[in-house]
Amino acid sequence: MKHHLLAAACAALLASFQTASAQSAADAAEIYASNCAACHGRGGKGVSVYPSLVGRTDAYIADRLTTYRARERLGPNSALMIPVAVKLSDEDITSLSVFISTTFK
Amino acid sequence: MKPALTKSSIRAALASTAILCVTMGVAHAQAPTLSQTVLMSGLEGPWDMAFLDDGTMFFTEKCRGLSVRLPSGDVKPLLGMVRSSGFDNIAYDLFCEGQAGMMGVAVDPDFASNRRIYVMSTSSLTAPASNRVMRLEVSEGLDAVSNRTDIVADIPFKPRSSAHPFGGPGAHNGGRVRFNPGDGFLYVTTGDTHNGVVPQSPTLMGGKVLRIDTDGNAAAGNGAPDGFDARIFTYGHRNVQGIAFRPGDNRAVVAEHGPWHSDEITALVPGGNGGWDPRPGMGGRPDCPDNYCGYSPNQMEGMDPGERAAFMPMTDLNSFPDAMPPAWNNNRLSQGTGSAAFLQGEQWGDWNGRMVVGIMGIGFGGTPVGQRIDLIDLAEDGLSVNDVSEMPLPMEPGRFRSVVLGPDGNLYAAMDEGEIYQIVPN
Repeated sequence: MKHHLLAAACAALLASFQTASAQSAADAAEIYASNCAACHGRGGKGVSVYPSLVGRTDAYIADRLTTYRARERLGPNSALMIPVAVKLSDEDITSLSVFISTTFK
Repeated sequence: MKPALTKSSIRAALASTAILCVTMGVAHAQAPTLSQTVLMSGLEGPWDMAFLDDGTMFFTEKCRGLSVRLPSGDVKPLLGMVRSSGFDNIAYDLFCEGQAGMMGVAVDPDFASNRRIYVMSTSSLTAPASNRVMRLEVSEGLDAVSNRTDIVADIPFKPRSSAHPFGGPGAHNGGRVRFNPGDGFLYVTTGDTHNGVVPQSPTLMGGKVLRIDTDGNAAAGNGAPDGFDARIFTYGHRNVQGIAFRPGDNRAVVAEHGPWHSDEITALVPGGNGGWDPRPGMGGRPDCPDNYCGYSPNQMEGMDPGERAAFMPMTDLNSFPDAMPPAWNNNRLSQGTGSAAFLQGEQWGDWNGRMVVGIMGIGFGGTPVGQRIDLIDLAEDGLSVNDVSEMPLPMEPGRFRSVVLGPDGNLYAAMDEGEIYQIVPN
């Protein structure tokens, strides 16, 4: 009986993780579409003076967003990036970084 | 986790805007419904298009070069740039940097007899580099260009970074080239290159609209003040990327980017001053970063567009009382007016004769990104608008870099993302 309860608990926990992960990805996709795609492009390729995100690691993206969120300037587009980044939570940055690094390969 | 920024707030804003539009009476009784076809995709920064009567379309890609799409759908590369691939014919002086690269293209009104087209591009033939207008001759088979002649070779290019938003090299080139069907002259739009002295300079070709013949000589009647280069038709501009000629009187009308505020639509007059003067010390302004006040004050932070406009006007009517007033200023917002054309033909219903303006979208300091195509009903005197409405797009919006009316009466729209759409009124 104990084993059955433990298995059920693990299954529920796993399912919640999967649900949370899927939700996180969906949220990240929505954040990207609403706040990033206008400059970086729907496919992350970059347009005009806005850089490509293709091939960037999640660590790179997270580092840049964290820096912008701290209102530190990184290049000529800082005026556009800082106001976006300051609204992101830690969780937003993590999920967005994973989304970008796994979607735009 | 709830996202900090989602589409829901934008949807709410759009819904409010839709309601507002209805209450403002901008719905059109005989507006066409639109459909679209993706004419081309996978391009690298398509910048401009120009058509022959049979639908042949010359097009530029900012960092690749000039190509042509035949009515059959076949595409032939014509003139590549340094570091571009897929071109047999490469001009190694042509390059891209930041906003600069290969930009506008226009077909000679006498193309059938002289095979000439005109392309504006950034070139390393001078040091520092320059923007120039090249005249090219297209082969009978539409598969090659030759006899390049640079008819304008002295349009400034920004060679170094500066302490401004978008402050990298290559900023603010203008770049559109268009023939006026009324007078047959070529109009060339240029930008201020983030250089405070350029727009009001009588001799520097940035921040201007040039009006020239096909050899690059000044057209008669440009009307610029004494001491100005005779090629100058209008001056005192920031960054003109859109120019079109109103059906009926062929008056030149430009669409110009604003600096964190006030994109402007302006009907030009010969010799007119656009009223843009970003020099420090002018209009009561103090020193500014790198001697350019274009984004001041508070250039890295959002603030009320009206306060910005009072400090650094797009059209400074206090300093220049005779400057050309804009017909429309995008409700004081800057969202990136990138191109302009006039709709013509009964197929456009109530929109026949309206100016369409492609807006690329810039979300800064609380300004909505605003990627769209606007329909502008310009007043007859060019000093105001009778109506402005948003085209109900048959596709997802994007960075509309170029809008061109094709010979078939349909509208063609290029997005920076890499597509060229054919938009058909039904």
